[in-house]
Amino acid sequence: MNSFTFNLRAIVPYLGELKMAVVTTVAMSLSTIVLSLAIGLFFAVLRQSRVAPLRWLATAYVEFFRNTPLLVMLYFAYFMMPVIGLRMSPFQSGLVGMTLHFGAYMTEILRAGLIAVPNGQYEAGNSQGMTSLQILRHVVLPQVFRTIYAPLGNQLINIVLGSSLTSAIAVNEIASWMQTAGSDSFRYFETFLIAAIAYAVLCQAINLTRIFIGRALFPDNR
Amino acid sequence: MHNAYSLLEYMPAVFRALGLTIWLSWLALILGAVGGLLLALMRTSNFRVLRLMALLYVELFRSIPILIILFFFFYGAPLILGWNLTAFAAATAALSAHASALMSEVIRAGIESVGRGQWEAAQSNGMTYTQAMRHVIGPQAMQVILPPSVNIYIMVLKESSIASIIGYVELTATGLVIREAHGGGFAILAIVALLYFIVCYAISLAGGVLERRMKVAGSGLQMDEL
Repeated sequence: MNSFTFNLRAIVPYLGELKMAVVTTVAMSLSTIVLSLAIGLFFAVLRQSRVAPLRWLATAYVEFFRNTPLLVMLYFAYFMMPVIGLRMSPFQSGLVGMTLHFGAYMTEILRAGLIAVPNGQYEAGNSQGMTSLQILRHVVLPQVFRTIYAPLGNQLINIVLGSSLTSAIAVNEIASWMQTAGSDSFRYFETFLIAAIAYAVLCQAINLTRIFIGRALFPDNR
Repeated sequence: MHNAYSLLEYMPAVFRALGLTIWLSWLALILGAVGGLLLALMRTSNFRVLRLMALLYVELFRSIPILIILFFFFYGAPLILGWNLTAFAAATAALSAHASALMSEVIRAGIESVGRGQWEAAQSNGMTYTQAMRHVIGPQAMQVILPPSVNIYIMVLKESSIASIIGYVELTATGLVIREAHGGGFAILAIVALLYFIVCYAISLAGGVLERRMKVAGSGLQMDEL
């Protein structure tokens, strides 16, 4: 084996592409967060529904996507779109797969939050003449937010980490940058180091933001 | 050739691939449990340096995608360390490295769930650290450790799909290969997803039973059952 020399300078020509890759990772993560929260809220409310088939549908959704690999879902979305006649970019089909997968986890987190709100709160809202939507918006969700705050933070980090798998369906994000820049320059360790640092910075940014906002919002917790 | 019926011809290959997926994830879980135990003992030790090293390891895996670790083992390790890992070895290494981080948290929680008094009682009986761990703390910690370990196994099983990216032909990669051979479409990927679902869901149901049983039955489990 020839001796290995560490040479970060060899990576410099690839830094422009890295910038694009980081932007793609951030865009993918943010879009997934927003969409999976929406889907999660929808199914979490459905799981509380009085109509049994609706509850079953929501349970089936959660159990199916929690028990299948994200990567398989990404391939599935990627290959299904053209067959059903939808022209989507890799980014868009990646977003579909990511949203469906993480939506299931969001449903569980939000459901746990909804369960934590006692029934009396709904009744109190009702007795004030609020509609169900108003109760959800003004009474329930603020309390839900408190319960889900910590698990939600973890989930946001999981989304950033999970977005690395979209490199498998040709989305040019950080993991994909590591592979192409690495194979191009044959500097795998340096590209590994940069990619690892990029992810660690993104994840720790979320983590620290979570801690600081958490301290400001809920000073009595911990 | 292009109908769903002809996919049946590939089913033996798909089931063999499912076997490989289960083998790979099982191996990673066992190695991860060993690594996790080591890390958990470091985390709960009296030496600050050991505690910090274990903490750094766990935090690292919380901030770096497993795919990046896999690329490191598969593409980076041959260049830097001179190890030429096969796709299987690289996948096993990456998956067990991640599983170690997850298991260490669970095992640590288990060890910490055992009251201080149990340590003191063991020590006052003249037990060494190893004896106390093996006979007093371990069996009690097991109750806390086993149920979440089932979830970790499911996670590792799903995660093992990334081995397909570096060319190890397990279940996901087999699905992709068959898709190519079969002229496109996505039916085979639906079958693959369904197989993952059946296996993972069955394990999670079994885990639920285990969790309920352990709450009732109490301890009586041995450390080697990890």
